[in-house]
Amino acid sequence: MIYEAAIGKDFPVAETDEAARLRRRDPAALAAVVDRYQHRLYRYLLRLVHEPAAADDLFQQTWLHAAGQIHRYDPRRSFDTWLFAIAHNAAMDLLRRRTGESLDDPDRGAEWAAVEPDALAAAITAQRSAILAAEMASLPAVYREALTLRFEEGMKLEEIAEVTRAPLSTVKSRVQRGLECLRQNMAARWRKEDLI
Amino acid sequence: MTPHESTRPLLALSAAGLLDADGERQVRQHIRECPACAAGLAGLAAVAAGLTSLPSPAPSAALLARTQARVAAQLAARRDRISGVALGVAGCGCGWVVSLATWGAWDWLGGNPAILIWLEFSAVLAGLTAAVVVRRRRRAERSFR
Repeated sequence: MIYEAAIGKDFPVAETDEAARLRRRDPAALAAVVDRYQHRLYRYLLRLVHEPAAADDLFQQTWLHAAGQIHRYDPRRSFDTWLFAIAHNAAMDLLRRRTGESLDDPDRGAEWAAVEPDALAAAITAQRSAILAAEMASLPAVYREALTLRFEEGMKLEEIAEVTRAPLSTVKSRVQRGLECLRQNMAARWRKEDLI
Repeated sequence: MTPHESTRPLLALSAAGLLDADGERQVRQHIRECPACAAGLAGLAAVAAGLTSLPSPAPSAALLARTQARVAAQLAARRDRISGVALGVAGCGCGWVVSLATWGAWDWLGGNPAILIWLEFSAVLAGLTAAVVVRRRRRAERSFR
């Protein structure tokens, strides 16, 4: 409810006639779609892999794969989820090859503890975006992905499940735990900075 | 399980807008009586709101141009492959038509099978050669643009 009020729902989607042009491999239609999705796709990839160079490679790889497989796209389904699923697969392949990056669902950590609302609100208000971005980057990949798809891309649970090919219950739990982790880390960081 | 314990896991889902009406009602009812959960929800909601407005990095103009160029090249290569096959089929068809048209000449030359094979072969070969020439010419024209 709170989230719905916080985010707009007017995300661009591929129109039906545009989908038909895409399936015919119309270069102008593909160029328009690359242009339209550039920010969202790049942001998603960068949140997942962190490094701009890796995100650049995955960005190109995703579009080349999309252009090659466009005939497989079913216009009755969402173009967003189709495109992000391609990006998800490419990113997961890269993360699997990397050492030290876990793609498993982490065990539930320490139980979430209540903190004073004023303290947390103050921490979030002060340099909220920068701190949040840094804390987000420190989360496990599966949490980062669930949170970015939910909050930055505004996807529904079903859409996130389609992109990540994970069951609905898993996606729900990733969003829940990711958000709780983030809140805990934010509170802990505020406390640490307050002591300095 | 106390109402506090059963409601606590729902707070993050509420902040994420993922609860159904019953769950949302349960959360609202509980936070009226539980300051700790009310504080927890406020913190989660603030984090959720912050996540919707994180700094959004944009791809560089060079990356975008490179990607557009590679996608365009891939589409052009595919179109080339398809048009090559179509021209090849058309060339073979033309060769076949030519050989049928020259059937009378073959008959007039005495109906020698070797002549017929030669006629058929040369007609199909001429069609295929024409197809290859047209395809190369198209590719060369595109590379000059």
